[in-house]
Amino acid sequence: MIESIMFGLTIGAILYLVSIGFAITFGTMRIINFAHGSIYALSVYLFMMVLPYVQNFVLALVISVVLIIPLSYLIERYIIRPLYGDAVHYALVATYGVLFATTDLIKWIWGTNPKLISVPTKVTLQIFDVDFPLYRLIIIIVAIAVFFALNLFFRKTIAGKVIVAALDDSTGVRCLGIDQYRYFSLVFIIGSVLAAVGGIIYSPIVSAEPYMGFKFVLLAFAVTIVGGMGNLTGAFYSAFGLGMVIAMTARVWPRLSEMMVFVVMAAVLLIRKEKDFS
Amino acid sequence: MEIKRLANAALFKNTEIKSSPRILVELIIIAVVFILLSFFLGKPRMTDFMIFGIAVLSYDLIYGYMGHLTIGHMLYFGTGTYSATLFMKLVSPNPLLGIIAGILAGALLAAIVGSLVVRTKGATFALVNMAFNYVGFFLVAYAWADVTGGEDGMASFTGTVGPVNLQQHPLWFYFVLSCLLLSFFLLKKITASPFGVMVKAIKHNETRIKFLGYNVHYYKLVTFVIASALAAFAGTLTTINYGYIAPDYLSPLRNEELIFANLIGGAGNIYGALLGGTLYMVMKDYLSIYVARWELVLGILLVVISLKFRTGLVGFLKKHIQLRSGSGR
Repeated sequence: MIESIMFGLTIGAILYLVSIGFAITFGTMRIINFAHGSIYALSVYLFMMVLPYVQNFVLALVISVVLIIPLSYLIERYIIRPLYGDAVHYALVATYGVLFATTDLIKWIWGTNPKLISVPTKVTLQIFDVDFPLYRLIIIIVAIAVFFALNLFFRKTIAGKVIVAALDDSTGVRCLGIDQYRYFSLVFIIGSVLAAVGGIIYSPIVSAEPYMGFKFVLLAFAVTIVGGMGNLTGAFYSAFGLGMVIAMTARVWPRLSEMMVFVVMAAVLLIRKEKDFS
Repeated sequence: MEIKRLANAALFKNTEIKSSPRILVELIIIAVVFILLSFFLGKPRMTDFMIFGIAVLSYDLIYGYMGHLTIGHMLYFGTGTYSATLFMKLVSPNPLLGIIAGILAGALLAAIVGSLVVRTKGATFALVNMAFNYVGFFLVAYAWADVTGGEDGMASFTGTVGPVNLQQHPLWFYFVLSCLLLSFFLLKKITASPFGVMVKAIKHNETRIKFLGYNVHYYKLVTFVIASALAAFAGTLTTINYGYIAPDYLSPLRNEELIFANLIGGAGNIYGALLGGTLYMVMKDYLSIYVARWELVLGILLVVISLKFRTGLVGFLKKHIQLRSGSGR
């Protein structure tokens, strides 16, 4: 049982890292960014390519995250920015195309077989008489640290404040004459970096496969819906809550654990009538 | 302005539908084109094209006409394939009954799921549908593997209708062709009716329609059920066509084919849907021989279309013809 709880916390941590960028894009611009999934998947494969050369987990992580930044900038600048304020479905189709293309690119370069990455530390800790890998504990700590760092960012910096205001009332921010899009591309890149970090530190636990981007976009979407749109603290709690749901279902029915997330999401959609789900 | 344009369109469409010879001529033209094409491309291939055409038509109703993008349409297509196969295997091998069972199953599922999802709109609608599609896929591919054959799929057995073997080719080709024409006719009728005008109005301004006192939920739900039933219809035909089904028919990843076909032809236009569907299949069948990374090309094309080429082929042609005749605004 304790093992499952710890597993749930680990997944929750990953879900939080991966979905925060998605949640911001969805909350401010009402844009479903499927390309978030391609950033996630590409970063894991880049990491796998870099790792044998540097032989150091952290260094490889930093290099692949740095490599992913220009790509996420290009996606934001040339695909998402022209579609701000446009009908929702064009952005969806365009980023869906990006995800589709990158998935095929991954299949082309690295093949379709799932790839395994070895865990950097094999140390296990004794928590309540249960063996718990240190690596998972690190993941949880990273997520909590990111949560507090983001909170600080959103409270103390101008960019953060503008984004928080835009999450609440995008039109109001525009009326004040603030060019929110400029700040927005910064936050887009931060979100992409977090997705890349989340993807990479999760990759030793699961195997990497070309279609994982699709799955994680959906999970990120579920986290955003359950947490409440534009509610960044809510996203934190809902990520850990859904992580628990996955872990608890996995005890009984491992194959369908991720499906339960969508059941929870459907229930939340039914119960809570948000003013406008567009 | 939008509403005015819409009213004009409705008026125009109504006169169009009143002159029933015109729709008859259109049906005959489509039939002749598909039959002519079958001489060049072969009947089996054209049958594939036409089945895909029905699926694209059903998608066009929900995306092109109602303006609701969904990434979960394959759920109903897949429901059609699996229900028809299981019905023919367990109850009666008659393919006509199997088709009806598949359509009913698709419509029933759409009524249940739809009453939940049509409360949402925009991006949420698209992704909630995708989530349901994933749930369906997991159920069919893993949870109910004993019945559905799991990831390997299963063979479907199609019996005869009395002494007639529907699956034999000249007959099967004409049967699918008539199915396509029937779907086309139905969609044409629906979109030209007052109901269809309402659905188009929802696309342009849902809040306004709500203000005017119409029950938007009802219109959206009925459209959703009709589109899903039509998709299930295409699914049942697929079962009989290939004699083999796999969870692939339920995979949400295949939905992108429908979006692509719809956009390239021109969404919100029945001819566009047919043109796009045929064009997509031709590209898939022939281009994929020469271009190894077919999905990569498709993804990039999707990006380009949604940024630069939104009206699709039909819109593009219309604009050019209008410009040439000088009536373009």
